[in-house]
Amino acid sequence: MDRKAPPLKANRRNVLKAGLAVGAAQLAGPFIINARGEEPVKIGLDNPLTGTYAAVGKNELIGCQLAIEQINAKGGILGRHAELVVEDSTSGDSSTAVQKARKLIDRDKVNFLLGNVNSALALAMADVSSEKKVLHIVPGGHTDAVTGATCHWNVFRVCNTTQMEANAVAPALIKNAGKKWYFITPDYAFGHTLQSGLEKAGTRLGYTKLGADLTPLGTTDFSSYLIKAEAAKPDVIIFLTQGDDMINALKQAVQFGLDKRVHLAGAQQELEALEGLPPEARIGTWVFEWYWNQPNVPHVAEFVAAIKKKTGRVPTARTWFGFASTWSCALAANHAKSLDAIKMAKALQGFELPPEVGLMPDKAFYRAGQNQLIGSLFVGNAQAKGSAPDDLFHVAEVVHGKEAAGTLEESGCKMTWPA
Amino acid sequence: MKGPGQRSTNALVVLILATMPFWMQYVGGYTELATQVLVMALAAMSLNFLLGFTGTLSFGHAAYFGLGGYGVAMIIKYIAPSTPLGILVGVAVGTIAAMVIGALIIKLRGVYFAMVTIAFGQVFFFIAFRWNSVTGGDDGLTNWKRQALDLGFTRVELLDHALTFYYFVLLIFLLAAACMALILRSPFGRTLLAIRENERKARFLGIPVEHHLWLSFVISCAFCSLAGTLYALLNNFIDPRALYWGQSGNFVIMAVLGGMRSFWGPLVGAAIFVVLQDFISSRTENWMSFVGLFFVLIVLFFPRGVLGMIRRRSSQ
Repeated sequence: MDRKAPPLKANRRNVLKAGLAVGAAQLAGPFIINARGEEPVKIGLDNPLTGTYAAVGKNELIGCQLAIEQINAKGGILGRHAELVVEDSTSGDSSTAVQKARKLIDRDKVNFLLGNVNSALALAMADVSSEKKVLHIVPGGHTDAVTGATCHWNVFRVCNTTQMEANAVAPALIKNAGKKWYFITPDYAFGHTLQSGLEKAGTRLGYTKLGADLTPLGTTDFSSYLIKAEAAKPDVIIFLTQGDDMINALKQAVQFGLDKRVHLAGAQQELEALEGLPPEARIGTWVFEWYWNQPNVPHVAEFVAAIKKKTGRVPTARTWFGFASTWSCALAANHAKSLDAIKMAKALQGFELPPEVGLMPDKAFYRAGQNQLIGSLFVGNAQAKGSAPDDLFHVAEVVHGKEAAGTLEESGCKMTWPA
Repeated sequence: MKGPGQRSTNALVVLILATMPFWMQYVGGYTELATQVLVMALAAMSLNFLLGFTGTLSFGHAAYFGLGGYGVAMIIKYIAPSTPLGILVGVAVGTIAAMVIGALIIKLRGVYFAMVTIAFGQVFFFIAFRWNSVTGGDDGLTNWKRQALDLGFTRVELLDHALTFYYFVLLIFLLAAACMALILRSPFGRTLLAIRENERKARFLGIPVEHHLWLSFVISCAFCSLAGTLYALLNNFIDPRALYWGQSGNFVIMAVLGGMRSFWGPLVGAAIFVVLQDFISSRTENWMSFVGLFFVLIVLFFPRGVLGMIRRRSSQ
């Protein structure tokens, strides 16, 4: 059995075969990243574009797109062109979100990862990004753990923690509505942490909890909860539901005439939800994380105009989350003068956003040791009619995040850096 | 299951899988996508053990898939940082749950069986969803990572080595597939086919139908929980949606898509499902309608699935 393979000869057939192989390799080209001198710096957005959070996810995307345009107009990231790579994470499927995060990091070789609206998906993505050591900014997933118990050196967050929202709004709730509270809470992680945050903040201010109902996500009929809540005779019913659940709950409460007998209020409120409510249901005390109508704050008007030009509508807090997150990537790289994740994460410790990105009365900064952006919170009342058709919220008071954030120890974050 | 044709098919499947990470990038994939295909394929094949070879439809296999995942995650997070131990416990948990639930529901047939499997699946989903302090609730179980394999003479790092982990999963996948094929070739496996074809006749032949159905259900769920453990290890993460009935539906779709009468059919179905989803969802946010449309077309025109269609072509 000593048959040997004949040596390859440069006959016509072999040359043709080789030619075909080379040709085929060219076709496969788009997926192979060739070594090029000026490769764009890639920012990967892994955020919901379908499902429950599609509307808020798309607003974040618009903010990201505007930031990319501005970054490129101002010379890019380290002199290189910036590019946004978008993947749909779905609204609740963590395996898809994780898979997309890996795809962005492994195949597209993104330098930054952004996402996610859904807290659970944000946490799952944070595990991937920290495993792969990629700088990751969470634009709008609120659960405390992201920059708390499960914080990572490479994961930063733009939106507030639920505890910060609770601390900011609790004094106003007591002042405007009273001390006897009844909670209507969505039954998942976000709702649980927001309610416990409010309970903590309320205890400090001497509140009384008269009861709490957990409502499944996607509840459409809140009547039984509302009747029970009213029977407890609270000063205020606190709605912690979000999105469509918020719209349904408030609409029904107003239809029942509950607003005539008790206060209806809550914590986190978003322009997307107020837009979905009839004017008579736009009531109560809430906290916004960003609001477009800030007459005396520089650069806000330009930002609002730029977004209006793109979409025809005013920016929401979500638009700003996406905008600030994307800008943070560029600022981190330019500040660190490097695309190395560790160097960039170090550069962002205590980093203050410039006013044209921060767009709020107080200076927004990433708190060192926790990676949480601390800026302003806007406490006020929903209003049926404001100065403009889009002006659905009256800001009564701006709370500085420093007062709402508590201490670093309270956040529960113990950060470890790679050697 | 036999003959040179089957043997060469098996060799081809092994060859394709063994080289998958190397050509995956040329079709727009990446190593972890290949691993995902294997994991989903194992789950779909285990479902097909029950669906295609015993003729019983379960819509609750995600329960055992998720139990396996939670088993491995909790072992590594709370008890001992060992990947093999986690896998063993995960499979054991899923199998024991299947034994108990199987005994309760095995007398039911057809759509009633399918509905009860959904109901039990949802029980596990809500436990995982609500029991925040242990399962992490809706946030899922994070902050644990797959551990290196300690083989005594050497340590195999799995965490930062996507390729090593792929071959680790491939090894388990092939072992599991071989086990399933052996069981199906055994006399016991033949009785399952007999039950599928005609349950009453099988009963008259003296086959203890209920007992064999129960055993088939347990075996199927055991392999499904094995897939679940690999799934959790792949993502370093598990959350209640792995237990959700929608996930069970995906397994059924994969099995039917690929062809539920053929052994490797679910593998083909899983590959198509996972890659299609990955591919289309990067291009359009309406990707679900495309996956759905593809599924409808397959069911309408090729009721035996993709592999069944190829089979028929080649035998003509």
